[in-house]
Order: sequence, then structure tokens, then C-alpha cells
Amino acid sequence: MSSKPEPKPDATAPEADDSKPRLRFVLEDTGFDEVPKKYRKYYRKWNGPAEELAPNEVLCPVCKVVIRSPRELRPGDRVYCMACFTRFIVTRSEAGMLEATVEY
Amino acid sequence: MRPGFGSSRLEPGAISLATDPSILPSAPQPKEIPVADVHSLPPESFLEEVHSFEFWFHSVEGYLSETRYGRKLQTQEVPLSDPERDRLITVLCHYCIGETAALEASSGLIAIAPNRLAKVFLATQVVDEGRHLEVLLHRLQDLGVASPEQEIERRATRSLVAFKRRLLELVEGKDWEAAIFAQNVILESFEFTVFQAHAETADPVTRDVLQGIVKDERRHIGFGENELGRRLKTSPHTRARLAAVRHELDSLVLASCEETLAQIGTLPSERPEIGRSYLAAVRRLGFA
Repeated sequence: MSSKPEPKPDATAPEADDSKPRLRFVLEDTGFDEVPKKYRKYYRKWNGPAEELAPNEVLCPVCKVVIRSPRELRPGDRVYCMACFTRFIVTRSEAGMLEATVEY
Repeated sequence: MRPGFGSSRLEPGAISLATDPSILPSAPQPKEIPVADVHSLPPESFLEEVHSFEFWFHSVEGYLSETRYGRKLQTQEVPLSDPERDRLITVLCHYCIGETAALEASSGLIAIAPNRLAKVFLATQVVDEGRHLEVLLHRLQDLGVASPEQEIERRATRSLVAFKRRLLELVEGKDWEAAIFAQNVILESFEFTVFQAHAETADPVTRDVLQGIVKDERRHIGFGENELGRRLKTSPHTRARLAAVRHELDSLVLASCEETLAQIGTLPSERPEIGRSYLAAVRRLGFA
């Protein structure tokens, strides 16, 4: 198992600046063709480490696809990568960036 | 670059028209059942969905429907020099050995898979691996190789052949965890990264073929890591056994990987990058 601390479940996730309502996003199909049509808008190709992700996006560390949500992501959220079948919990890195941590 | 903002419009409090077509009464009815938010699916429903043939079929349809033997219909062949062609043939022969190993192993694994979802997934992987072998053989014929099977045998490296033999022994020994680790984590991770690297510098037709394979490999590496991750959670003693398998097989795959990367012209300074994805996967599984 990973030596990383266990991510906290949604209900007890830190709610830093979470008093604000979450931003909402209308997702558009960007041409990611590796999942069935009805799921395509939730994913897009990653353009490399120089790319800045939006607040509703997080990178799948397993297969390097950008996972997208219709709402702003916050630590404790759960997301799925359908391209590689992986479940994640959103965490915040030491550098303050949102990360996807694998939940087997 | 901020393509994230370019591809998902920010609308505070917005209702997504894409998920509520009834808002547009004149719009044609979508064939697909709208999904409210895929990330709110219960974990069991998610696993059931992604391990289904239905999911597989609609996934591969997206990137294979406009291709012939993995080549996009509009892609044109470019001339290769004799040394370039010869190097490409060697590399494709190596890929064919890996794909044959995965085809034989994944079909054998269906019988010992611990549940229905794993069996169905592996059935889709068998189809993927069969397709990979077919498109690579077809590419070899495109390049003028009259008898691809003989050419593969002639150009095979000892390390690749030894890896294939050991993988099939694990399957025959009904060692589910070790075989999945060898195939879906070690072999598939290296294929995933080597094919991606090769696609960046390959001729257009080979690039099409490799990019199609890489899209399939995402499912294969994800299945392997998740399956093992779940099993290691409930039986941590398995880790020591898998560490021994890793110790034995890593060197075989690394040796053939090095040889392939040299053939496709990857600089030695760039090669550590190739192994990064594999090392990250084994770290997440606790083998660091």
C-alpha cells in the first residue's frame, strides 16, 4: 500500500473556504474518444505538465487523462477515471494543487 | 495553457443543458441516456459499468470505427530509408512477441479469474490483444515482410522470449495475482510508455497503429493496478510474493525495453522517463 496518509472521507474533509458555493461548469465534449459518448465530456486529453488545470479538473495519475467534474472540485470529493477504471479521492498536495489519490 | 477553462464553461449555478435535453424541446432526442454526473455513481455501479462488454464496445467504437488495421483512412504512407525500415521491422517484431504473450496469457486467465467482472473484462482484453497482434502483423506486411511470423522468430530477443515463457508459467500455475502483476502491471505499463514514446517519432501509419493500441492499454493497466490494489488490501501477505515476481521479471522487461528504445532512437538521457509510469504504479501498490 502507499505510504501516503489515508485520505479523509467526504463527510469529514476539511472545509477550508468551503463556505462559498461551488462553481458550476457546463462540460463540453472535447473529442476524448476513449469512453462511450455519454461519458466523453467528463474527460479530456492532458497536454503535459506545463498545462494548468481548471478548478473542476484533476489529472488521473494512472493513465494521464484529465478528469472533469460539472462542479468545482474540493479535497474529499470522489471522482472516477473511466479510461482506466480507477476511483479517486481528491486531495491537496503540499504545493496546494488538487490531486487525485487512488482508492482501490 | 489553460485548455481546461476553454473546454468547460464556467457558469455559477448553471444547469447543464447537456444533461437535461428536455430544456430544448426542438432538439433531436439523444440516443444515449443522459448521465447526471458520472462521479456520483455508486462504486458498485461504476465497476459494473466499466467492466462490461457494452462499455468496451462503445469505447473502442470511438477510436477504431474510422480505421482499417489501426490506420486512419486519410493517413498517407511516407517513404522510409532501408535502415529506418529495418529498425522499424525489428521493433514491430518485438511488439508482436509482447502482444502474443498478452493474448495467450489473458485468455488463460479467464478460467481462474475470481469473479464475473474480471472474467468479462479479460474477455475484452483478449479481443484487444488479438487486434493488436493483427494490426502489427499487417503493418509488417505493409513494410514488405513476406512471412511476419518467421521474421518475429528470427528477430526475437532472449529476454522477451523468457518473459513470455515465465508469464505463461504463472498462468498455467493458476497464480492469479502474480500473472496479473506480470501481465497487466509490468508488461502493459512498459508497452504503454514505449508505444507512446514511439508514436511521437514514428511514421504516420505506425503512429496511428500505436496510438490506437495505447488507448486500449489504458484499460489494461488500470484493470491490473486496481485488481491488485483491492487484493493487497485484504491479503497483504501477497505483497512479498509479488515482490519476488517483480524482482525476477523486471530485468527481463527492462532489457527488452532498453533494446527497443535504442532501436526507435530514444536518447539514453530520456529513457528513465519511460520507466516513470511503471515505477509510479508499483509505488502506489506499495512496492517502492
